[in-house]
Amino acid sequence: MLNPLSKDGWNYETAAHLLNRAGFGGPPEAIARLTDLGHEAALSSLLDYEKIPDPTPNPVWAVPDLGRAERLRAMQNLAPDAKREAQQAEQRAQAQQIIELRGWWLDRMARGPRPFQEKMVLFWHGHFATSYEKVRDAYYMWRQNDLFRQLATDYWLRLLIVAGQDPAMLIWLDQAQSRKEHPNENYAREVMELFSLGEGHYTEKDVTEAARALTGWSLDRQTETYVYRPLFHDNGDKTFLGLTGNLTGEDVMEQIIRQPQAAVFITGKLWNFFAGQMPSPELNNALADTFIKSARRFKPFLRVMFRSEEFYSESVLRNQVKSPVQWLVGTARVLQCDLPPAFISAAMLRSLGQDLFAPPNVKGWDGGITWITTNTLLERYNDAATLVQGTTQQLTASDFARKPGGPGGIIQEKAAQRVHIGGVDLEKILTPEERADKNKLVASLQHRLLQSTFSNKQDQALRDFLDSRPKLADADISNVIRLVMSTPEYQVT
Amino acid sequence: MKNEITLQTRREFLRGTVLGSALSWTVPTFLADTFMALHGEAADSATQIATGKDATILVVLQMAGGNDGLNTVVPYSNDYYHSARPKIGQTADKILKLNGDIGFHSAMTGFKSLYDSGNLAVVQGVGYPNPNRSHFRSTEIWQTASDSDKVEKYGWLGRYFDNACAGADPTVGVVVGRQLPESFFAKTPKGICFDNPQNYRFLSPEHPKSGQTDMTEAAYEKLNETEMTIPEDNSGGSIGSLPAGMPMQGGKAVDFIERTAMDAQISSDEVRSIAARVQNQAIYPTSAFANSLKLVAKLIGGGLPTRIYYVSQGGYDTHTNQIATQQRLLGDLGDSLKAFVDDMKAQGNMQRVLVMTFSEFGRRVNENANGGTDHGAAAPMFIIGNKVKAGLLGRYPGLAPQDLFQGDIKYNVDFRSVYAGVLENWLKTKSAPILGRQFEPLQVV
Repeated sequence: MLNPLSKDGWNYETAAHLLNRAGFGGPPEAIARLTDLGHEAALSSLLDYEKIPDPTPNPVWAVPDLGRAERLRAMQNLAPDAKREAQQAEQRAQAQQIIELRGWWLDRMARGPRPFQEKMVLFWHGHFATSYEKVRDAYYMWRQNDLFRQLATDYWLRLLIVAGQDPAMLIWLDQAQSRKEHPNENYAREVMELFSLGEGHYTEKDVTEAARALTGWSLDRQTETYVYRPLFHDNGDKTFLGLTGNLTGEDVMEQIIRQPQAAVFITGKLWNFFAGQMPSPELNNALADTFIKSARRFKPFLRVMFRSEEFYSESVLRNQVKSPVQWLVGTARVLQCDLPPAFISAAMLRSLGQDLFAPPNVKGWDGGITWITTNTLLERYNDAATLVQGTTQQLTASDFARKPGGPGGIIQEKAAQRVHIGGVDLEKILTPEERADKNKLVASLQHRLLQSTFSNKQDQALRDFLDSRPKLADADISNVIRLVMSTPEYQVT
Repeated sequence: MKNEITLQTRREFLRGTVLGSALSWTVPTFLADTFMALHGEAADSATQIATGKDATILVVLQMAGGNDGLNTVVPYSNDYYHSARPKIGQTADKILKLNGDIGFHSAMTGFKSLYDSGNLAVVQGVGYPNPNRSHFRSTEIWQTASDSDKVEKYGWLGRYFDNACAGADPTVGVVVGRQLPESFFAKTPKGICFDNPQNYRFLSPEHPKSGQTDMTEAAYEKLNETEMTIPEDNSGGSIGSLPAGMPMQGGKAVDFIERTAMDAQISSDEVRSIAARVQNQAIYPTSAFANSLKLVAKLIGGGLPTRIYYVSQGGYDTHTNQIATQQRLLGDLGDSLKAFVDDMKAQGNMQRVLVMTFSEFGRRVNENANGGTDHGAAAPMFIIGNKVKAGLLGRYPGLAPQDLFQGDIKYNVDFRSVYAGVLENWLKTKSAPILGRQFEPLQVV
């Protein structure tokens, strides 16, 4: 198992598959370039992203706000009206920042030079599924996002420890409140159940013992960083997964990673994310072996995975439902257009079921076929029109209907604006001949958008539409692009 | 009901020719089943199929933001209440009395009238153990019916669809709103959602004159017509055969999407045609919330095979200036529901409909310094219907200091008992598989 794909197996189709899955897809020229490189160099061009400079600047507010803790405390002493005003101003600023953050990240995915790194960040975000809805601090959310970027393909143990000590996580799963007198079990349980082992591979006793060992991992709100507080730590003996002693949080993580199941769990989840389905038990064991042989470091493991013939098998190719992020970012990449403004993109993704920085719960997004309902499907078809044909809209408050307790401040401010959204530069993606000839146009669009072809009947539907037009105006061409995107075939990759 | 299934509607005709619904995706033995066997399986469940016009309907109403239960169902004779609420307390002369101790907020004339006509039950002191005061988390607990220290992936209504509505039309659940609530999350997602029926459709840039075909829409319909046929044997036909060792969920992803696309086309046509055809038969207030109920009434009147409707009314997070806000919201709530009930009665559908309200939490007993209240715990739920066990259910929670927990009202009815009662006695399905374990069903009907 996991033999490299044969030399003949590497072609335009498999290159497109790699770019779609390890990245967010791209225009025909990018796929052709990857095809020409050959499989090994193509892999390197994606995976060895450290060699590619990424000059994207951080959001200006992405620095510790050293005065924040003090400011929030001072607010408590204000007169009622002043207090309310101050709190609302604080919330508005946070709501604004979280929307900027969504736009900033989407932009990295859609235009950045390291698509594979960003794809891994997306994986880790879904894996560690931390939500702004509880953390309520855009800087912490950015910090966690950046941490996933720094350690995207690093050693599993390092990532697991650092993710656990990350401020957003300390708040999200209540570890910040854990004390030796009353250890909080939330993080101790989820780190095993959801992040590393899966249910059934530890006992309730392991949860309480891990919670004791993890006491001391804490958050310093002044500096907005992780801090270890020896006074909070339970120095007694604990027994965790067979290991006994005055264990620390780091010991617990190390003992988890040592379990053979830990390798099975994380490699199965990665395969599912990139290949679109859970691996068979045999394949999962082979993946776990490879991971352990890679010193439990993700980069070499993923290289083997993306090289393997299994990854390019019939049941994997074009058989993954695009996530809303893949759908949106991929569309911008293949049509070589900009994403809509951050708050529009964010609202689209929320309606489509993938609200970035706000996964539905600690289990993250289910993914797969659950992305598709009658509702989200029609929404994709209609959002396609917005992206391709472009529109200028007078925004209304209901465009950003807020969830109970969700960020709402931005909405009022933007409500009165007219905003231009979307639009594709047809000259950039189609030659003059393609724009003049119906057959060439349809062929070119299928090639670009689907990397495969429609059924005869679908082909006929597009031709009938074009035949109903007296001549091929730009509006008609945009309409055809939108129609190609309004098919079941465009929803898979 | 089982013997009455006939293939009469367009939907069923299409389902008959294209292997039925999304059910096939999650049933591994699907390929071994024939279409009619599937149909029979669905009929055995609690699902209504063709004869849906006489099945019971549940309308779930979310009062988002955390409604202050104490000022909604007011314990006007209670001294603790008045000392905790010196500024925003409801006084005995204003409230709509239900008995010598409690009464509705003065704005709730609609509720009072429903109460008097025997159509309204008040479930008092509803909550759950170890209450959480975060909107996000407590809403999630209500939506998923989980314990407060557990996280469930799927919503309680989603689990109802998974357990009791396999093979049902996607319109088995209808949300009036922009987003599917977490309670609808399911293993096999079902339910449609829209704030305006005109948005639940493929939007075309063309504006053809009447009688002319909209070519864009025609192309969309053809592009999304599925070409699948019933497989003649177990080899799978166009479902695609699966290589050994590669467990798939039961088919190609694109096949699942094709089926969903077909469902979308059909339900979109149906919803819009009903909304245009059916008229409301009562006078509703002018509000967004009333509009939601007007739409639900139309869809019920039009015979959509829906078991669950979901509507919400927001704005209950009354940290400041509560008196004016709650006056407006509760007035709108009561008047809109009263109109809805009148509409149902005029339609002749009242005996089929049950409305259940919930809010993620009540509010603290003591008012705050801003003329409002902060996040609390237990609160009442309201249940409205013809067959409802009208009156006051449960008992009013104590407000004496020793009866409170950290300044909050203690629950005496677990909300999952209410869910269990609704599931078992109204939707006629077992509640334990849906709620995770057996809760004592509260006799609500």
